[in-house]
Amino acid sequence: MNPLDKPYAQLALALLTVLVLPLFLKSGILATEILIFAMVVAACNLLLGYTGLLSFGQGIFFGIGTYVAGICLTRWSVPVPLVLAGAAVLGAATATLVGWLSIRRQGVYFVMLTLAFSQLFYFVAYTFSGVTGGDNGLLGVPRPSVGGTALNSPWSYYTFVAVCFVAVFALLVMVTQSTFGRTLLAIRENEGRAAAIGFPTKLFKLEAFAISGAVTAFGGALHAMLIGVAPLSNIEYHTSELILIMTIIGGSSSLFGSVLGAGFYLLLADALSTVWPRWLLLLGLVLVTVALFLQRGLWGLVERGYDLVFRRERAPETPAEEH
Amino acid sequence: MIYLFQVLNGIGLGMLYFLLAVGLSVIFGLLQFVNFAHGAFYLLGAYLTYDLTMRGFSFWAAMPLATLIVAGIAALIEAVLLHRIYKLPHTFHILVTVGLALVVQELVIIAWGPLGGSVPAPDGLQGVVILGDFIYPQYRLFTIGFTAVLAGLLWWLLEGTRLGAIVRGGSESPANMALLGYNTLRINTAVFGFGAGLAGLAGALAAPIRGVEPFMGIEALSVAFVVVVIGGMGSYTGALVAGLLVGVVQSVMTTLWPEGARLMIYVGMALVIALMPRGLLGRA
Repeated sequence: MNPLDKPYAQLALALLTVLVLPLFLKSGILATEILIFAMVVAACNLLLGYTGLLSFGQGIFFGIGTYVAGICLTRWSVPVPLVLAGAAVLGAATATLVGWLSIRRQGVYFVMLTLAFSQLFYFVAYTFSGVTGGDNGLLGVPRPSVGGTALNSPWSYYTFVAVCFVAVFALLVMVTQSTFGRTLLAIRENEGRAAAIGFPTKLFKLEAFAISGAVTAFGGALHAMLIGVAPLSNIEYHTSELILIMTIIGGSSSLFGSVLGAGFYLLLADALSTVWPRWLLLLGLVLVTVALFLQRGLWGLVERGYDLVFRRERAPETPAEEH
Repeated sequence: MIYLFQVLNGIGLGMLYFLLAVGLSVIFGLLQFVNFAHGAFYLLGAYLTYDLTMRGFSFWAAMPLATLIVAGIAALIEAVLLHRIYKLPHTFHILVTVGLALVVQELVIIAWGPLGGSVPAPDGLQGVVILGDFIYPQYRLFTIGFTAVLAGLLWWLLEGTRLGAIVRGGSESPANMALLGYNTLRINTAVFGFGAGLAGLAGALAAPIRGVEPFMGIEALSVAFVVVVIGGMGSYTGALVAGLLVGVVQSVMTTLWPEGARLMIYVGMALVIALMPRGLLGRA
């Protein structure tokens, strides 16, 4: 195993990211967005990389978190910690429901079902515009305040999100290292065998879904407070697609790979979208390239680089054996 | 009367969904390949029809031409790129085809702008059919008849001809087909082009009904998924039944609850999956 894959190394890299982003980025909003998506993408990776479930429905949970924040903060001014907790609970509940229906089918059918469910929830949000604001979204979502002062400057909110990010990332690392996480890996490798040993594999998959949904909705709530709006686009097909793309680009074999994926995508988007409005064309080509030449994602690249620098005696072409 | 109108609309819509789903199903059956670019071929078919009719071609020339061009482009993409990734896990099929769909969508916006447009009903079918106090657009009636004939042809092609036998044999065991001396690489390319061509044809037929806009591909993709999930992948009858069901539900709901019409498709799907996880006629 590559030393970078060890849990403490992953956690250290996450901490380093939090500290380094403000040094290199001018925009606090962009930096905050990177951290929010980093945790959301890591939650998607818990399903893809650790359980072998390719979920095209992560946007559902992200959108639900967004709407929980939007509705609770603009209509009832619920305290922020309660909002975040509520988002996580509702996200977990929805993810359990969607997961329960989707894992009835396997493989490609599972993916198609999750995509169809993301459309279902999009149309729910679109149809019940009295609750969700429909196309306009819910405007005027306030930032949280700490000690009586609202976190209105970008970097003060960044600090708030950074604390959340480190906590969530540590939680996800703990989950993957636990017996539970190991069992998920066993299910990914060979579900039939895991079931034969006596693990209730469906229950484990549902629990993975619940955790993933909770984190994703939590991130969605943070995102609504960041941009001050709960937009319809957060529950759209595109958000699901975005989260999945970031996960695969980052590489699904490590949680920190997801942080890389989110950072890479958002920085690329930020740089290219100002230059060329049709930059998604280039993104499409990037995706094809990743699938052809970089199947272990950016994290695979990092591992190869590490081996090249620190372990010269080993041939860099042989990738570190997993597990 | 309004219900008869909507049921007819639904049948027309459902037949287009059927064409989309059969294309997806045939590609998946033979190649075990998840094609998230299927909606993009539908989009391309619609826009090529739009473009050709704008250039003064008759719809009757534009529709087959658009279908052939889409099939050709798809076959080319398969031969150059996709056959390299069949052996990779599904994750990468999805990544590549999502990438392709993005490229197509952006190229469409570059070529024809972000706003979309409308395609007039073809010459000779611009009027309405009047039966007593029932009035129905001719073109919509034509799509129902045309797609019904097409569905019959497709069934014959897949179940009754040597070509169909090759395709079905290939989806059972590609290795055996290769041992029997068939060029499986060329069969794969042809079938991918054929499936994508069906999506393109559905787009071409839909263009005069719903107009064209750059994001119609995504909607088509997810409806095709719903149809395949409800009907069961690889089942011709399943795709037909589910396609018609989805189309009619959507149309009738347009009268009963306009805002929720498209929502009901997905609610219906969730119900089917909750009650019958294998779909209505699914085998796997």
